[in-house]
Parts: sequence; C-alpha cells; structure tokens
Amino acid sequence: MADRLTREEVEHVAKLARVEISDDEMEKYQVELKQILDEVMKINDVVLYDDEYMIAPWSVDSELRKDEVGDMLDAKDVLENVPRHSGNYIEVPVVLGE
Amino acid sequence: MSNYIPTIGIEVHVELKTNTKIFSNAINGYGMGANTLTNVIDLGYPGTLPTINKEVIRQAIKAATVLNCEIRKDMHFDRKNYFYPDNPKNYQITQFNTPIGHDGYVLIEVDGVEKKIEIEEMHIEEDTCKSAHRGNVTLLDFNRAGVPLIEIVTKPCISSSEEAKLYIEKLREILLYAGISDCKMEEGSMRCDANVSIRPKESAPYGTKVEIKNIGSISNVGLSIQKEIMRQEKIYNNNETITPQTRRFDSKLNDTVLMRVKETGNDYRYFPEPDIPFIHLTDEDIREATKDIPMLPDERRKIYINKGITRVNSDKIINHREMSDFLNSFIESDLDFVVASNLLLGDIASYLNKTNKMLKDTLLSKEKFVVLVEKVKDNKLTSKNVKDIIEDIMEKDLTIDDIIEEKGITNITDNSIIESIVDKIIEDNMESVEDYKNGHDRSIKYLMGQIMKETKGQAEPRITMQLLKEKLDSLK
Amino acid sequence: MRYLDKDIKEIHELLVSKKICPLDLVNEALELIEKNKDLNCFITVDKENAIEMANRLGEMEVDKDNLLFGIPIAIKDNIVTKGLRTTCASRMLDNFIPIYDACVVEKIKELNMIIIGKTNMDEFAMGSTSRTSYYKAPLNPWNKKMISGGSSGGSAVAVGARLVPLALGSDTGGSIRQPASYCGIVGMKPTYGRVSRFGLVAFASSLDQIGPMTKNVYENALLLNAIVGRDERDLTSSDKEKEDFTRLIGEDISGMRVAIPTYFISDIVEKEIKDKFNELKETLKKKNVIIDLVDIKYLENAVTLYQIIAMGEASSNLARFDGIRYGYSTPNPTDIDQLYLKTRREGFGNEVKRRIMVGSYLLSGENAQLYYNKALKIRDDMKKELMKVFEKYDLIIGPTTTTTAYSLDSDLDNPLKSYMDDVLVIPVNMAGLPAISIPIGFSNSKMPIGMHIIGKPFSEATIYKFASFIEKELNLDLNPERGDKDE
Repeated sequence: MADRLTREEVEHVAKLARVEISDDEMEKYQVELKQILDEVMKINDVVLYDDEYMIAPWSVDSELRKDEVGDMLDAKDVLENVPRHSGNYIEVPVVLGE
Repeated sequence: MSNYIPTIGIEVHVELKTNTKIFSNAINGYGMGANTLTNVIDLGYPGTLPTINKEVIRQAIKAATVLNCEIRKDMHFDRKNYFYPDNPKNYQITQFNTPIGHDGYVLIEVDGVEKKIEIEEMHIEEDTCKSAHRGNVTLLDFNRAGVPLIEIVTKPCISSSEEAKLYIEKLREILLYAGISDCKMEEGSMRCDANVSIRPKESAPYGTKVEIKNIGSISNVGLSIQKEIMRQEKIYNNNETITPQTRRFDSKLNDTVLMRVKETGNDYRYFPEPDIPFIHLTDEDIREATKDIPMLPDERRKIYINKGITRVNSDKIINHREMSDFLNSFIESDLDFVVASNLLLGDIASYLNKTNKMLKDTLLSKEKFVVLVEKVKDNKLTSKNVKDIIEDIMEKDLTIDDIIEEKGITNITDNSIIESIVDKIIEDNMESVEDYKNGHDRSIKYLMGQIMKETKGQAEPRITMQLLKEKLDSLK
Repeated sequence: MRYLDKDIKEIHELLVSKKICPLDLVNEALELIEKNKDLNCFITVDKENAIEMANRLGEMEVDKDNLLFGIPIAIKDNIVTKGLRTTCASRMLDNFIPIYDACVVEKIKELNMIIIGKTNMDEFAMGSTSRTSYYKAPLNPWNKKMISGGSSGGSAVAVGARLVPLALGSDTGGSIRQPASYCGIVGMKPTYGRVSRFGLVAFASSLDQIGPMTKNVYENALLLNAIVGRDERDLTSSDKEKEDFTRLIGEDISGMRVAIPTYFISDIVEKEIKDKFNELKETLKKKNVIIDLVDIKYLENAVTLYQIIAMGEASSNLARFDGIRYGYSTPNPTDIDQLYLKTRREGFGNEVKRRIMVGSYLLSGENAQLYYNKALKIRDDMKKELMKVFEKYDLIIGPTTTTTAYSLDSDLDNPLKSYMDDVLVIPVNMAGLPAISIPIGFSNSKMPIGMHIIGKPFSEATIYKFASFIEKELNLDLNPERGDKDE
C-alpha cells in the first residue's frame, strides 16, 4: 500500500474544507493524512458489544420549542461585524453558476 | 412518437406554514426588509445552537400522513456540509439517515387511468438565505435562512412530462388542503427540481441523469421536462453522449439551459448533528398532529362526482377551498349538489370575484343557501332572478323570501297562464312562426323575447321555452 | 494587602462587613494582571467595565447569601461576551465583538460577579499547550519556561498565579483538567449537559463542556453551582434539578469504592507521577477506601475516536468562519472562492487548519461510512464499559496526565505526542462523564502533579466530596510565589 495520498486526494480534501495549502503543506498532508488513516483503519478490528451507537452523551431527548416569536436583530445589529455590506444586504463577490 | 423511454424523478421543497423558523424563534415571513427577520442563530453566529420548532414536527407529521408515508418515530438530524454564501453555517441541518417519512405515494390520473407516484422519502430541513446578483457582487438577505422546509423525493417512476405536471398539481393541491404550505411557486414557497434521463427501451439501463433546477411554475414543470427530453433525444439520435449536468428552464428561450457541469460526485460529508438529541414521536403525537387534517381533494372529488357534479366543475370547486368546505357542510343533507355547485361557480363566484371577497365576508348563511338552491331547483327563481338579487343575498341580512318580496319578483310558473300567453304571441307573430317552420331556429329566440316582454320577464324561462317549442312543433 | 489569595468565604465576609469593597478586589486583580503581564494569560482585560461594575456593586447592599457577589472572574476567550471582544485566540476573530452573551456569562452577571477579562488559550481550543494561540502561549506560573497546558491554559495560569480567584474554561478532550493539573489548580469538567453550551464557540459539539477552574475544591463547587441548569437554547443541556454541589464536602469517605483502570497506571505514565499517585493510594486505603485495579476495554481506542469524532465535528463547526458575516475577511477577494480560501488560509493558524483537514478527510467519500459510524459504535461501547464499572464502584481515579508540564520549546509539530498528553482525559469526554483534576503534589523539578477523579453522570457532588477529603489530607501550599517549592 502506498505510504501517502495522491496530490489529487489531498486537493479534493482541501477544496472541500476551503483551506488553501502550499506545496510544502501538500507534501506534509499527503503523508500525514495517510498515517492518520492507517491509524484510524485499525478500529475496524475492534470487536463491538452490539450495534448501538452514540452520537453524543445526551441525557435528554430534544424538547420541542413552542412556535412563538422571540427577539430579533435590527438590520443594524446584523451588520455589526459584517466585513462588506451594501445597504442592509450582506455582500460577497459574485457567485457564478446560479 | 418518440422511440425513447423517459425516466423522471422529482424533488420538491416546500416551505412550511409556521410562525417561526425551524431552529430559531425569528419570524418565518416573506417580503420584509432585508435582514430584518433574523437572530444570531439564523446568521450562524459562533456559539449559537439550534432549537426545534414543535410546529415544524407537527406539520411534517401531517405532510407524511397526507402523502401516505410511513412515519419514523425515532429520528435525528444530520449535517450536510458544503460551502455556499447562502448557507450561513456552511452546513445545512437536514435529515439524511432518518427522514421523518418514507415509502409513500400520491395518486394521479393519467388519461383516466390511476397511477401511483411513489415517494421515496420526505425529510425536514432548513432553508438557505436568499441571494441576488448585482454586477460583480452577490447580495445576501438572511430572512429566509432557517425557514422550515420539507423535501419530498419521488422514486424515478415518472415516465412523461405530463405525469410530472399532474404529480406537482396533485401534490400542491394536497399540501394546500392540509394547510402545510401555501405552495406559491412564484414566491418560492414551493420549489421543484427534476431529474430526467431517457433510454431506448425498457430493458436498457437508465440513461445519464440531468437535473433541472428551480422550476418556477407548474406549467414550466411539464414544459421544461418535455424540452429536456427532446434535447436528450436529439443527442442520442446524433450518437452523442449526454453529460451529467445541472440545467435550468429559461422561459424566454422556452428551453433548458446549462447551469453547471456536475462535479464528479458531491461529497457532502454527512454526519449526525450532535447539537440536536433524538426526537421520539409517540402515537399520541401523531394523533394530535393529524387530528385536524381536513377531507382531502380526492375524496371530495369522489363525493362530488357521485352527487352528479361534472369532473370539470368538481375540480373548479376543489380549486376554491372555501367553496368546497362550504359545499361539504351539506354532504349529510339532501341538498341538490348540481344546482348548488352551479350557483357557487356561477353567480356567487362572479360576485366574489367582482367584490374581491371571501364567502366568509358575505352574509350568505347556510340556511339562506339551502333556500336559494331549493327555489332554483323548483323553478321558483330564474337564473335572471338570481343575477338580479345576488348582491342582496350576499350583502343583506334578509331571508331569500324577504328579498324576493322586496324586489317584487313574481314568476309565472302556472302552465295554463303561460300557455295562453304563448298562444297569443304565436297568433300575433305568424311570420316568425313561418320562419321557424322553414328552419330558421333564430326566430324562436325572437318569440321568447316577445313573451318575456309581454310578461315583464316573469314567465319562468324553462317552462316557457318547453311550451313554446311544443306549440311550434305541433304547427309544423 | 492582598485579598484575592484568600478564600472566597473570607473575601465575602470582608465585603459584608464593608472592610473592603468590590473595587478593591478589581483594582488588585488589575494590578496583578499588569504586574504579571509576562505570563500572557489574558488576551483582553476589560478594565473599564470591570471598574464600572465594581463601582455599581459598591453602591449596592452586599447579598449575604451570594458568596460570589463582587468576586472577579476570568473567562476563557471562546465563551462569547456581549460587547467584549472574543477571539478564540485566533486571527480569524481578532476583531470580533459578539452581539450576545453566552448562557454562563448571563448567569455570572446575574450573580454580580465581575468579569475581569478573557483568557488566552489554544486557537479555537485546539491543542494541549496553549501554544497554538495567535497571541502566543501563556507561561506556567510554577516555571515560566514551561507550558501552561491547554487549551484552557490562560484560565489555569490566571488562577494558578492568583491573579483572579475564579475562571471558566472549556474541556473537549481534557482542556480544563490537563492545564489545571499542570498549573496546580482544581479544574472540573462537568457531566455533558450540566452546563449550557449556548455561547461557547463550538470545537466538537458532542464533547465540549464548560467548567470551573479554581484554587480549591470548595470554590470549584461554588462556581459550578452558579453556572449549571437547563437552558432552553441548548437542547443538549440536562433537565436535572438544581443541587448544591458543596453539600457533601467534609463528609467521611471511608467505605467508598474506587476503581483504578490498569491503563491509567501503565507505562504510558511517568514514574514520578505514578509514585505520587501510589503514595496517595496508600493514604486512601488507610482511610478505609476500597481500591481495586480494573481492566476497562476500549480506553486505548479513545485517541483514535477523538481523531475521528472531534476532528470531524470541528471541520464542520469551523466552516462558518468564511469572511462573510463576521470575523477576519481577506482584503479585496476577486471571487467567492478567493474569499473562502484566502480568508481561511490567513485567518486560521496551522494546527486549526490541520485539524480541519483531518476532520474533512475522515468524513469525505466513503470514510464516514467506514470509520465515523464505527467510531460512534465504539464510543457507545466505551460508555457502556465505563458504566459497568460504576455498577460496582463510586469513582474511577488515576493521574490526570502522563507527564508534568514540559518545556515551551518542545516540538509543536508532533500531533500524536500532543494527543497522547490527553490519553487519560479523553475517555471522560467520549462518555460525557464528570471528572476533576486536583493537585496532589509536585515533581522533583517542582512542577505540580494532578489527580483525576471520574464519576458517573451527574455525580459531581460525590467527586467534590472525595476531592475535598484529599485536598484537606494533603494540605498543599499551592501559591507559586511561596508554594511547596522546597517541601
């Protein structure tokens, strides 16, 4: 088995995560992600008690909220931390392919 | 006639009618100022967590029920991870592993034959925010972010654009009746995507799937699929290959146009949403949610047709929810549904249209309506009479009899009286009688007019016409 | 005259008798913070508001039933504070002013405690040394060449150095207990769901929990009293009724049954830590505590589960930092992908990016089906295995860490070493159990050693009882200025 992921595999992950990586990092991730995968694959050998799974250590079921309106933000508050806006709209560079 | 077999699957997103959003208590509203219907949860602020709107679960149970789905009682949510500016957390909370409904169906009628459109699953999820493109920027309005949606996914069991259109119409009718959504495709509260492929014969493997996104109206559902099938047929006929892609329908071009070529396999990295514990539905929850589901259109249609109303008129009434509910309140009585439906679709509908009113805004009571139907049925009121008094019926707090008296309507319904008038008119207009004998049917209308003039319109028209015809024919 | 080193009960009496006022406490804290700036344990000090609050409280009658009235507190900088910069020690949020308060912050304010500032940490709580902070690492008050531990390093240092009596931290895989152990303080990770996470910037939602970091056990229980409770805004918060976590403190512990997992005292633990722990074990036995060694399955899988689950959740939780609605945004992006890629490249540090990459990778393609689902099943089994132990035993104990605090200069780029730091603490987060770390002595190089006490869900009061007994028995001087440096 190869000891590293291909560039394409790492590029795919970087694209999914929207993390831009340099050539050095590419090298590093090709090896490191493979190492982690090898480590992770070992859990296939773990023998389970049963088929039950735990998403989180919840001690309660979801309590459903009444359909009643609560406080909302003014558009001014919405824009408080927004890097770019136009009027009350939040602005981003144009999104193509719509 | 085409040589190819189309295979179509449809995904419909429907916004649920609730006061608040699915995961936050901000208003679920439409048409307000940009970014005025949000809170920190809708904006995906760091540290915020979702809560679950009870009404969303209730509406989803209703939807699953009216779409004949099995309801999953133990469910959780999942995260669908993808970056897009309209997706505030860059993950969408949806139900991937445990959709609330599965294995349902909707019945449609294709050329008089019933067909089951099978529903693979329906799940609950959140809507994205709205984006508008202006030159080199995109503007985001988060009012829609977090609006509750259900997504209804059919199996690839639809085999023509006509079926697709009928399915959407039927789905819309059902969801509207159950009060789940207002299903306005133009406002985006109902959105439709279709997956279309074709293959040369039944035994061949499915062809390459092309997705048509965001079809904006019911008529475009049929049209866009039809055009897409034609496009694909042309490609096959030229021995070219169809590439997997996403297209949209351009109503100006009257054809589908390319949006983007599909990336090889979306990688949404689904995993269970840790912020929302399990939801366990009890039988009582389901009973409670479904107890106010009204009689659905198919059942109404069956009853109306049984009571003699034509298919076309039945559909018309069902299209007018309030009218249908009004009519349904007489199901147990022996009211004449044909006369009743004609009145509703005739003078009453035009009154409502003209005045832009709902039935509930008028003074037409059930009692008044029963009397009105009886009078019309017994020829005590002519259609002209009804036209004359419809405003009074709808607007005055008077009984039908009071109105008739007030208006001084006295109809001549006594056969012997009408007969004598008919005789008189025939005698006075022998020329027209000759014309009639010579096959000029028009002259009978003239003679009717003369009778009405003589009686100041009070002769009951059906009886009069019948007697006049009998008399004339006996002279032939 | 120093007040902040005193017990909170004493400070409270001084406040009630009007010998001091809240402003004296705030001024002292601000002075100490300024004097110990080199410790680098605060990212933001909220001087103005703290003084204003102290003045306001000074005009009020001291609430005799509220021991926390007027007490300064430090908050880890991943817990949002309305109007007060909250950075998560990341360039990504360097300019971020939250527009709402976390649930715990609301509670702190309701009790009239005074927020002094926001403490340093690993960037987005990702690390065990606090060295991944955009604002550089805090220093260990016992030896400034050593790490503070992490990720709640700043809170541990602030309390350890006696700059503030109380602090809040958060614990995803030991992030309260490990720095508490390294800095010689008491740190509790409550049962998952005890404390609302609303307003805690999520790292791994199914593991994160806010908890108190204090000088001693009693005050820890007191602070926990202040922050627990069902919060409608956090569906995962428990509906357990309020209880007084100090109520069992001082009770006799003889007859209690305690389990030590063999894995916790295996060769992964440094000898002098094991020795100190064994010493204590003998003391406990003399007090008629029943102690057995037990084998607990799946514990050795904890680090792998952490890789899959914590990184997976983190990759999703941190996707929201995209330069659109808040936080850092790259200047002049040419298109949307540039906005995403540059913002996240420039805004996140290396360790955060690394974990996002790992998490995304382990969820991508078929990996989620192959490994994530299996991890959730092992996680369930691990909890069941631990719960089986609790059928026979009241508590599980062991050392908190495998080593004492190590040099700030040690290799940062060895992720596995860093995870191994947390190998003893991670299973607790996986199962959602409550656990505390308390100081039990010092190493030969005079660095604090911590002991880990784990309870069954919602048994914090029992943990405090046991911890308080040990604390009293050992009676350590834990002020680094004096300390047991020459014990």
